[in-house]
Amino acid sequence: MKKNLFTILTLIVLASVLLSACGGSAPATATEKKKVVIFVGMGTGTDPDQVDAQNQLAQKFNSTHDDIEIEFLIVPHEEYATRYLAMLSGGNAPQLVGPNGISTVAEFFDTWEDITPYIEAEKYDLSDFYGPAVELNQYPQKNTGLPLGLYPSYIYYNKDLFDAAGLDYPTHDFNDTSWNMDKLRDMAMQLTLDKNGKNATDPDFDPTNIVQIGYDDSWDGMRGTLSTWGAENVGRPTTADYKTAVANSPEWIQGLQWISDGIWKDHFIGSAEVQAGRDSAGVDPFGPGTTGMFYSHTWFLAEGLHDLSFSADIAPFPYNPKGERVARIDADNFTIPKDAKNKQEAWEVMKWLTSPEIIVDVCRIYGCIPARKSVQGKFLEQLKTDYPGIDYDVIFKSIDYLDNPNNEAWIPEWGKIEDTLNNSLSLVYTGTETDATKVLSDANTEVQKILDEYWAKQP
Amino acid sequence: MQSTRPHHRLSLAHREALWAYAFISPWLIGFVIFTIGPMLASLYFSFTDYDIVSSPEWIGLTNYINLFHDELFWHSLGITLKFALIALPLNLIISYLIAVLLNQNIAGRNIWRTVYFLPSVIAGVAVALLWARIFDPKYGVLNPFLERFGIHGPGWFSDPHWALSALVIMSLWSVGGNIILYLAGLQGVPTDLYDAAKVDGATAWQRFRHVTIPMTTPVIFFNLVLGLIATFQYFTEVYVISVGNTVGGGLGGPARSTLFYNIYLYQNAFKYFHMGYASTMAWILFVIVLVFTLLIFRSSNAWVYYEGQLRGR
Repeated sequence: MKKNLFTILTLIVLASVLLSACGGSAPATATEKKKVVIFVGMGTGTDPDQVDAQNQLAQKFNSTHDDIEIEFLIVPHEEYATRYLAMLSGGNAPQLVGPNGISTVAEFFDTWEDITPYIEAEKYDLSDFYGPAVELNQYPQKNTGLPLGLYPSYIYYNKDLFDAAGLDYPTHDFNDTSWNMDKLRDMAMQLTLDKNGKNATDPDFDPTNIVQIGYDDSWDGMRGTLSTWGAENVGRPTTADYKTAVANSPEWIQGLQWISDGIWKDHFIGSAEVQAGRDSAGVDPFGPGTTGMFYSHTWFLAEGLHDLSFSADIAPFPYNPKGERVARIDADNFTIPKDAKNKQEAWEVMKWLTSPEIIVDVCRIYGCIPARKSVQGKFLEQLKTDYPGIDYDVIFKSIDYLDNPNNEAWIPEWGKIEDTLNNSLSLVYTGTETDATKVLSDANTEVQKILDEYWAKQP
Repeated sequence: MQSTRPHHRLSLAHREALWAYAFISPWLIGFVIFTIGPMLASLYFSFTDYDIVSSPEWIGLTNYINLFHDELFWHSLGITLKFALIALPLNLIISYLIAVLLNQNIAGRNIWRTVYFLPSVIAGVAVALLWARIFDPKYGVLNPFLERFGIHGPGWFSDPHWALSALVIMSLWSVGGNIILYLAGLQGVPTDLYDAAKVDGATAWQRFRHVTIPMTTPVIFFNLVLGLIATFQYFTEVYVISVGNTVGGGLGGPARSTLFYNIYLYQNAFKYFHMGYASTMAWILFVIVLVFTLLIFRSSNAWVYYEGQLRGR
């Protein structure tokens, strides 16, 4: 009898261990609220301050809605792909994902719900959004989400270094066509100093001991870096039908050679070794005050324009050799995974997050420009408070010069082609191969092979 | 009065076996669900085109055939083999020599043992971050040290010609686990063997060569097998060092110089969403490691000595 009892108890303990290990926690709640989990981690939104602000936003929503409850699920950026894919494959897709950049929209393109039916069902008015912002989410196959924010790009420049070099600041006049890539190079060379204080135009300049760099665009990959050079396909390495690789267009070759010469001949751009040193020190390219000009986006306002030990301002990106200005743009939205439950509720939350009443608060958390025209004035006031003394016109005017096709937009085998192109960029930055024609010809061959394999598999 | 009811009681051995199964059942069930299950699933996926979003589509041996025509597959396998050929022998030899030193009667021996063991308990991510800083050409400590001897240090992790070497050096830092095992082996060598060798006039080197090494070959064998498996699974350190380096080409950079097998497998699974292809890579890796391990086991008859065992029996 004792033994039987012991056996039963053992089995009960084992069963409870297994059940507690395998079972999910689904406590019953008194309310009938439907849950909308917002997956954060694909881009910005994971800093502690942002997490607090998002939790406050959730409280604000939950206290004013009886039928839906939202929760921000914060995932470390390094784990976003594995966590998101694990949730999808486990049948536990989040209801919303965001803020989601063009690149991560492209990366997981097949997983997103098309929101066109939701828009059409209630004739949702899109006219208040900036036109380009709407276009960035619109693909032939689907509309991935309502626009949340835009991140136009421009030059951040260190005024103190310009003063020390006796140089005029870059023009803020968008119509001044003399502000081009040649002029940028000339300025950057004069801003580049070795440890003896000689600049890169000096015959005695020592390129092995550079202490100050003139120009930096190292936070973007190959497509972003070359999208500004005026190629027919702008930031896309394929033709419009995605079947032919055009990564070795003359404009891209010209752009990459400009970078290669900038690193290895004119020395105003830091090599991979210089960038690695900065990365391991945990600093951004602009913050330490040893970079004259840094080409980046609006999100750098939130990330890098606080507590600078020098004065800084922003200027438009220069004209390219074809006499055109292309200033690449990033954009964020919230997307609905097509396998998610409660998709109608997710759509409601998406509308709320991008509504005129809330969008400024949301964009303040993420550092983007609200994609709604009607709140520009309100946002401008906020900018003046948060980042006094910079030329806000540059931010808003730069939107008009965005890259289209965008440098992060979807292409077949997006991740594989991105890796291929960025590997090619690394050949230049590491000095493994400095001839842009060779680098891009090889890259083009590789991209074409990837495209051919992709299309061969299509029905 | 005697009972006429037949006896259905299990024998003691059977009852003990049942209890044993009952007690190991939590682990056993976990192993089946979380290890055998995923392994079988990945074997199935290796014969499919599977991107997580859509249902797996059976494509037979296509993934296996494509793999052998994939240049990056061969490149990544080459990088991994190169690393294994350099790092594994170095790890085994250096850890053995340190263990021999730590087995001597030296002052502060326990402190030294602790010092050498400590790095091996540090997580791979922390190790990678620490060494990225040490190797940093501008802010690190290694290159300024080399400068003192008139050597202009390379860019290490930012130089495609030196990145793999830097990883080899980094791997030598975490030999503490091997050292502990070697120490245990060294302390198990019977002292009467040394005494007998001394009586026969053996020098210190001869005692080391003909007594110490043969008597510790089982531990060398054990470390070799585990080291081989760990080397082929090398991932964390490379991931941490290369993932965010855009101008270095990102994961596996610079210029694909650290594109280890597992890094390429990870890219296929979680960046390109070729889960079927990645599963194929996983099974090929399994086969490669299995073959090498079997070769080592097969060779062990020739060089591993177990005390009390007759060769060939």
